[in-house]
Amino acid sequence: MDRELLRQCLAYHGESLFNKLKCEQTENPDFQAVVSDLCKATYESRSGGHDNPLVEQFIARKADILFCPAWKTATHQEEEHEEEEDAAEPYAIMPPVELFMEVSYEERRAMLYRDLERGDTVVGRINNIREYGFFLTLLCTAGGLKRDIEDLELSALCHIREIPSTGSHDDPLSYYQIGDFIRAAVKDIDRYQEKITVSLHKASLSPSMEQIKLGVVPREELPIHYSRSVRASADSSETYECILASCHGYHNPSVVDYLLEKVGVSDTHPPSMMRGLQSKLFQEEDFASVIRKKQSSSWALKCVRAGVDHFKHGRHVEAMNEYNKALDIDTNNVEALVARGALYANKGSIMKAITDFELALENCPDHRNAKKYLCQTLVERGKQLEEQEKLVTAEGLYRRALSLDDLNPEAQEALHKITDTIQKSIRLREEALAKEQVKATSSQTSAEKLRKILKEEKRMKKKRKRSTSSSSSTSSRRNSSSSSSSSSSRRRSKKKKKKRRRSERGSKRHSRISSRESSRRSEEGKSEKDRKEEEEDEVEWYPAPPNTSATFLNQKGGPVFGERDEEEVEQKDAEERRISQLYSLSAASDDEESDYSRRERKKKDIEEGKRGKNERHSRDKSRERWKEDNRKDRRDSESNRRSSLDENRKRKVSCSSADSEYSRKSSFKSEYLGNSRSASKHLDGRVRRDSSKRNSFDGGRYENRGQEEIWDVEEAKRDKDRKGTVEEESSRSEGGNCKQSEGAGNHKQSGLTSVPGGRPKKDLPSNLLDIFNQIAQFEKEKGSKKYNIYF
Amino acid sequence: MEGPSSRAPAAKDRALLPARRDSCGDGESDSARDIKTHFRVCRFIMDTGVKLGMRSVPVATACVLYHRFFEHVNMHSYEPYLVAMSCVYLAGKVEEQHMRTRDIINVSHRYFNSGSAPLECDKEFWDLRDSVVQCELLILRQLNFHVSIEHPHKYLLHYLFSVKSLVNRHAWSRTPVAETSWALLRDCYHGAMCIRHIPQHIAIATLYLAINSYGVELPAGEKEWWQVLCEDVTQADIDAVISDLLQLYDMEAKCI
Repeated sequence: MDRELLRQCLAYHGESLFNKLKCEQTENPDFQAVVSDLCKATYESRSGGHDNPLVEQFIARKADILFCPAWKTATHQEEEHEEEEDAAEPYAIMPPVELFMEVSYEERRAMLYRDLERGDTVVGRINNIREYGFFLTLLCTAGGLKRDIEDLELSALCHIREIPSTGSHDDPLSYYQIGDFIRAAVKDIDRYQEKITVSLHKASLSPSMEQIKLGVVPREELPIHYSRSVRASADSSETYECILASCHGYHNPSVVDYLLEKVGVSDTHPPSMMRGLQSKLFQEEDFASVIRKKQSSSWALKCVRAGVDHFKHGRHVEAMNEYNKALDIDTNNVEALVARGALYANKGSIMKAITDFELALENCPDHRNAKKYLCQTLVERGKQLEEQEKLVTAEGLYRRALSLDDLNPEAQEALHKITDTIQKSIRLREEALAKEQVKATSSQTSAEKLRKILKEEKRMKKKRKRSTSSSSSTSSRRNSSSSSSSSSSRRRSKKKKKKRRRSERGSKRHSRISSRESSRRSEEGKSEKDRKEEEEDEVEWYPAPPNTSATFLNQKGGPVFGERDEEEVEQKDAEERRISQLYSLSAASDDEESDYSRRERKKKDIEEGKRGKNERHSRDKSRERWKEDNRKDRRDSESNRRSSLDENRKRKVSCSSADSEYSRKSSFKSEYLGNSRSASKHLDGRVRRDSSKRNSFDGGRYENRGQEEIWDVEEAKRDKDRKGTVEEESSRSEGGNCKQSEGAGNHKQSGLTSVPGGRPKKDLPSNLLDIFNQIAQFEKEKGSKKYNIYF
Repeated sequence: MEGPSSRAPAAKDRALLPARRDSCGDGESDSARDIKTHFRVCRFIMDTGVKLGMRSVPVATACVLYHRFFEHVNMHSYEPYLVAMSCVYLAGKVEEQHMRTRDIINVSHRYFNSGSAPLECDKEFWDLRDSVVQCELLILRQLNFHVSIEHPHKYLLHYLFSVKSLVNRHAWSRTPVAETSWALLRDCYHGAMCIRHIPQHIAIATLYLAINSYGVELPAGEKEWWQVLCEDVTQADIDAVISDLLQLYDMEAKCI
């Protein structure tokens, strides 16, 4: 109990209330605690005799509420900012009541001296200016305290020190004139001497009123309550009620809410003197919002139950309707979301299902079914994505599924599988890159071989001339097949569907290869095979640069450049090679037949190839899928490799079947160009990313290709009068070719080999980009150095 | 158009709402029993209002609508709790704090069956809802669509600010006059006194009682402060309001 308040009350009501209190509050321990204290004083009724015993009774009975410290909800607010409110007047600003009450002069004066405090604002008129300051006649108070003081003849001194000086001006007082209205802050009150000093410095204002402007105020800006009281005192018919009714703020529709907030009384937990309406008696679960929530969820559950029933009987549409109804009733109802998600999943709308499960888990993170279903659906979705070759996204989904349920065997298995696949595809890409440079280097290193091959070819052609009948038939056959393929490819190149085109061409090529191979095998000699073999060998079996594959496979430290251990690499790259074998199916089979002195490495390859034959089918499939992966960089590398393969093959063909017609060559060339066009299109796309490196690289290759074409044409011309010069010619062009590709290849090699410093993370295809960037960097830095070492 | 039958909602609702808890002795007069019933129903309105998050003014409007309705009709013709529910609904509309019938029914249902589960969304619920809406129309017709009510609330708040300026700020800030007067004002809607007295008088009386209860001393002039606030109020008026109000507090002990 608030003792002070109780004492104040008792002092007002007197002994009779005290007796009633003692009678009524006997059971109140709070009162018993203070009663002895209160007994000491004697109370005389000051209420003037007309004390209502009923009121006293009421006070006595409700004393526990009235004097409970918790009863006072309003926190002590600092005086509001009158200035802001004056303009809008959200409530009626009334003149001081004592004006109407006609309180005596002395009492009002005493009240003012009692209540005025330092930091309050007052408004006055200057009546006298002296050299030490000016005197104000106070008109009214501003700020929270509203008093009628105009006729109290209060004078306040504003000392010159309390007037803010304005710069160089020596006499601040010269700004002020007699009759000016001044708003000032009370600096000091001498209650005994009845002297008030005011200040114009902001610092003397109470902190809550800091924004009030002190100094001269125009007449229009005098406080509203003052102007209204002036009007009211002038006209006796202006009563409090009249003024109230005429006030703008009084008619504010939300005046009650505004003032209640200002007073500090809560309207959501309103006070009541009734015992049965005490705030503490209200239970949270009886409130409308709580009941509604509960009800909604129970209604929704009912719908879900009905929906599940429908679902069990196969009435999926009805079930969906029920679920939707449930969610209408109770948005984010977990059970409804899970049920609907399950239905979606059953219907194949996996994305919708996932959304529902996720929403359910958001609302109830421990919902077991939601977790389980989401896990399953994610795996399902992952598999879909896998089929669409979106391996990384699928992997992410598997990982998420595992994060929900780390024991889910399906997800574990799927993740395991996909990680493998991704690694494989990364390796394939590495391979492709490696091939690019290998091709370049191979052309360089095989310059001599080529010379040999050309010689061989000449020999062959002489031989063929002798046996024209058979060769012409084969050539024509070959011719037709190649032309058809080229035309079809040209046609296809017009289409937008690159994936499709590529895969088709791939299959086409295979058939072409096989036909060509067989024809070659049957007709062309061993040497031809050797040459081809060697070329393919160069292309296909040149071991991948150490770091690309090594880093991803997380193998032993990257081998030193130039000292590559072929065996080791072979073991490591067995997988890759097997995959790359698929690109040259003929190579593996041909190897067996050819009696060319094979390198050790190659033997292994054949073994691998044999072993791999069983897996070939599945591998092929996976490769096809992989091919169709829509990730741009993959496509790029793929196309690069394709084009390089095609190039090789073409070169082969042009070399081997040198006696074929010029037209055939041109058709090849066009195919070739189409191919390179598509490749360049892809490449263009990624130029942004690593433009410098790619540009140089591709440039090299393009030129390379261009040279080849020229070479092809030249070859065709020279076919007719083949002389020893051909050798020189071809070697020259080949040499140029090599030089071109050498640069690119060298850069590539050096870049790749010097990567180990910044070793990329394992398993992450996105790191490929980083690798590219690193390559580009190293290319710049170490390109020249490596050049020397390598060559 | 035929209005809702005067009997229908009551009859329908009696089945759904529990029997009224008026267990007054036979010795009591009908009017005394009615006053007690009204007190309980108003308590129900207040209780519901708090649970619905209604502000004070809509609750007051609901009570006034209720009292006005039964001013003219025999209270045995209608189910008072249903009328009360409809009054809450209507008051929400009148005072621009719309209540949903569903919430009103839910809270009422729980009021009568404390601790019970929320109602099912079945025919019972919809019937109850229909009766509330029908009864709302009935009230409107009975009151001739005069549903805008002037309340003492805004008078009281303005008076509070005026009186506050008369008192030393420190004395004021430690005295919960505002809370007490607001509580008294809210409580006075338990009885028909809220429609018998004019709003200004009620406002002054509650403020008077609050100030009196804490023994806050106001300066005395030629006129009393309450005379200034309202020209025509007399001490007798104030005493009458206070007396009515105090009776309500006495009634609480007897009724609840």
